[in-house]
Amino acid sequence: MQNDLFNISWGDIVFWSVNYFFFFYGLVLMSIYFTGIILANRAIRRTKKRSVFLNVKDIVGATDIPSVTLVAPAYNEGLTIVENVKSLLSIQYPYYDFILVNDGSKDDSLEKLIKEFELEPGDATFITQPIPTASVNYIYKSRNKKYTHLTVIDKNNGGKADALNAGMNFANSELVICTDADCIIEQDALIKMVRPYLEEDDKEIIACGAGIGVVNDSVVKNGVLKELRLPNNLVPMVQVVECIRAFLLGRMAWGEINGLMLVSGAFGMYPLKRVIEVGGFDVKMVGEDLELCVRLRTHMEDLQLPYKVVYLPETLCWTEAPPTYQVLINQRDRWSRGLWETISIHKHLLFNRKYGKMGLIYFPYWVIFEFGAPLVEFLGIIALFVFAVLGLINWPYAILIYSFIYLLGCLFSTAAVFMYVKSFNHYTKPRQVIELLLASYLEPFLYHPVLLYGQMKGYYKKLFKIKSGWGVMTRKGFKISED
Amino acid sequence: MDIAVLILILKVGLLILILLWISISFTMVYRRRRSRKLRLIENTFAEVVSNYLYPDKENPVSLVEIQRLMRKIGIRESRMKNVQYLIALMIRTQRSILGKNHDRLKQLYGQIPPFRASISKVRTYGWYNKACGIREIYEMNQTQYLQEIIPLRNHKNLYVRREAQIALVVFLGWESLRFIPYLKKKVTRWQQIKIVEKLYDLYREPQVESLRKIYGSDRVFAKQLIMRIIRKYGLESEIDYILSHLDHSNYEVREAAIYCLNSFKVTTKIEEIKNFFHRIPVVSQQRQLIDYIFENSQIDLDFYMDLLRTSNDEIKLKAAEILWNSGYKEKVQEFYLQQYSNTGVYAE
Repeated sequence: MQNDLFNISWGDIVFWSVNYFFFFYGLVLMSIYFTGIILANRAIRRTKKRSVFLNVKDIVGATDIPSVTLVAPAYNEGLTIVENVKSLLSIQYPYYDFILVNDGSKDDSLEKLIKEFELEPGDATFITQPIPTASVNYIYKSRNKKYTHLTVIDKNNGGKADALNAGMNFANSELVICTDADCIIEQDALIKMVRPYLEEDDKEIIACGAGIGVVNDSVVKNGVLKELRLPNNLVPMVQVVECIRAFLLGRMAWGEINGLMLVSGAFGMYPLKRVIEVGGFDVKMVGEDLELCVRLRTHMEDLQLPYKVVYLPETLCWTEAPPTYQVLINQRDRWSRGLWETISIHKHLLFNRKYGKMGLIYFPYWVIFEFGAPLVEFLGIIALFVFAVLGLINWPYAILIYSFIYLLGCLFSTAAVFMYVKSFNHYTKPRQVIELLLASYLEPFLYHPVLLYGQMKGYYKKLFKIKSGWGVMTRKGFKISED
Repeated sequence: MDIAVLILILKVGLLILILLWISISFTMVYRRRRSRKLRLIENTFAEVVSNYLYPDKENPVSLVEIQRLMRKIGIRESRMKNVQYLIALMIRTQRSILGKNHDRLKQLYGQIPPFRASISKVRTYGWYNKACGIREIYEMNQTQYLQEIIPLRNHKNLYVRREAQIALVVFLGWESLRFIPYLKKKVTRWQQIKIVEKLYDLYREPQVESLRKIYGSDRVFAKQLIMRIIRKYGLESEIDYILSHLDHSNYEVREAAIYCLNSFKVTTKIEEIKNFFHRIPVVSQQRQLIDYIFENSQIDLDFYMDLLRTSNDEIKLKAAEILWNSGYKEKVQEFYLQQYSNTGVYAE
């Protein structure tokens, strides 16, 4: 026995250490995912039951529901800007203002808006701006009574976060929703989003998000989603499953234990007071939504006030997902840089008892698994290659292990699709569900490697301090119904 | 781990996957069939209601026929889901029909199933059924069960007690407000709004005396609720109650007071409001009050110049903005130039 121990070589130690590291990392991650299914299921069932008693119709005529401002930045969106603004103006909510921030567009966006909505400029010299932003040139209001709730802010270019900050500076409401100008928002989305703010009594809601759906190849009329279709291409179709997994399972599960660290920048609601207190979005970040949410949570922990970040399972916002591999790579590159920056800025939270569960569980999860997973995966591929070259791999065993991991992935995606089909009426045709399942089963081979490449590209840029901005998000546009 | 064990785990995984596929298929088929069934119930019920409210004089529909028809489409005690759907339809229909037809509809509801289904739910143990039962009772105006609902106003479950409180408002109207100060648990903003809306929907005539009886309550939610009622009914005579809470020590109460004040144009008490301004400890609320003062009074140069000289930058900028946009640009310029000279920028 003792002899055997002495006979173990360093090579063996490295080989088994690496193997066990990957094994336990994967095991913990899978356990978290499957615990997530249980938590999400509980959260969805509870939300469904509660919604019977929180019927928006009960308060839709009320005059003392909180006012909401929707802020949408726009940069060079002249092609679709008028349609997008009309779509966002059609949202049903009694106390609703819409601020569109023209972030120094170089195209004819502003001219088109002025013409279509009969805008006239106002003096922007002395308006209180609690959050510093790039300078504002003019504030436009419409002469047409139909558009009294529309404000267009024309400012010099400062990026998305800066534009959102400018919009929030001019907002005069209790709550503010940040979105993108090209998002399609459900007509009753605001009243549903406001519900948690009104309902909660012990904890302050500092951020609220909802499901975001993929609208590629769907039919849109007058800015309203008329017919939801599955995307024709694999890349956006896999993102449908990805959204279902992320929003319905991931965020609902984390929301259930008040562990949400991210409310998507495409559709997030915040109390204006708190956002101004923390100084708005960080303009230096590319992942400004994640960073703001972490900062808001840290702020509340510092103030020692009870708070909550909530997520609604319903899909209330529809957006176009990256239609090609190249755009997808750019997006994931940006997201991973955003994650890197957020983790660097808030590294003091890691295992910091002062921040309670956020410091001990939620933030470490983001560091170890959200940030760490692409790295571990990348290292795994290298290890596999090295061990294969050295002839250290027992192939029949390895194939079985990989099949098992693939099966777990399929189970997870299938469970997500099942929960979605059970809870919502969006994809009701058998063909759609089969396509979704097939896309999710092909994901590990045709989608995930590209995703990993995008993430690693982002990390590489951060590691070697290669400057990179937002990148270009090429949109294909929706199918516009003519009739 | 042995290869045989791995293969076994794989087989179990595959089995679970197949089970999930079966569940998805079952869910889809069930939903399709259920939707068809619900459509049938809805159409039949719509026909019954229209035949009952606007009967064919030569061939009027009898209650026995209606009951038979209902049973035929699956409205039986053994099929609670169908019954539940019918109740939801009944509530929805009742909400949208007014006047004489509303009374006739109530007669019809008294004769067709599922009478007593709601009170049976209230008597069950689970919170969901209990709360659903209470909701159905007040929505369908079944006053006879009020005594059973009253004790539930302080129930340990949030939704049960909320529905019970709404039931009290529906059945007792302004009189129900007397319960408010004695509620043991907080009343959320949602619930406050719902109470105000129900009261306003069903009892349009304000009974100020009932409201005044609870003015003495020091519960935060009671104060907020009173102010919301004053606002909703536009009770200008009660404006002093709102004013007296502008400088309340609780943030939420002040917030409600400022919010409710915004619904009134109190030009005569502007000086009083200006005095409250300095007693508000939170800048964001001070800003809201400045907006109110600006919108409801003539420009008071001294007041805004004083604000311009305060130490808080937000208030200072707010005052500057108001003065600048009200034709006092030179005052603002003069003030800021003075600031620069004080800091020595232009000195010597």
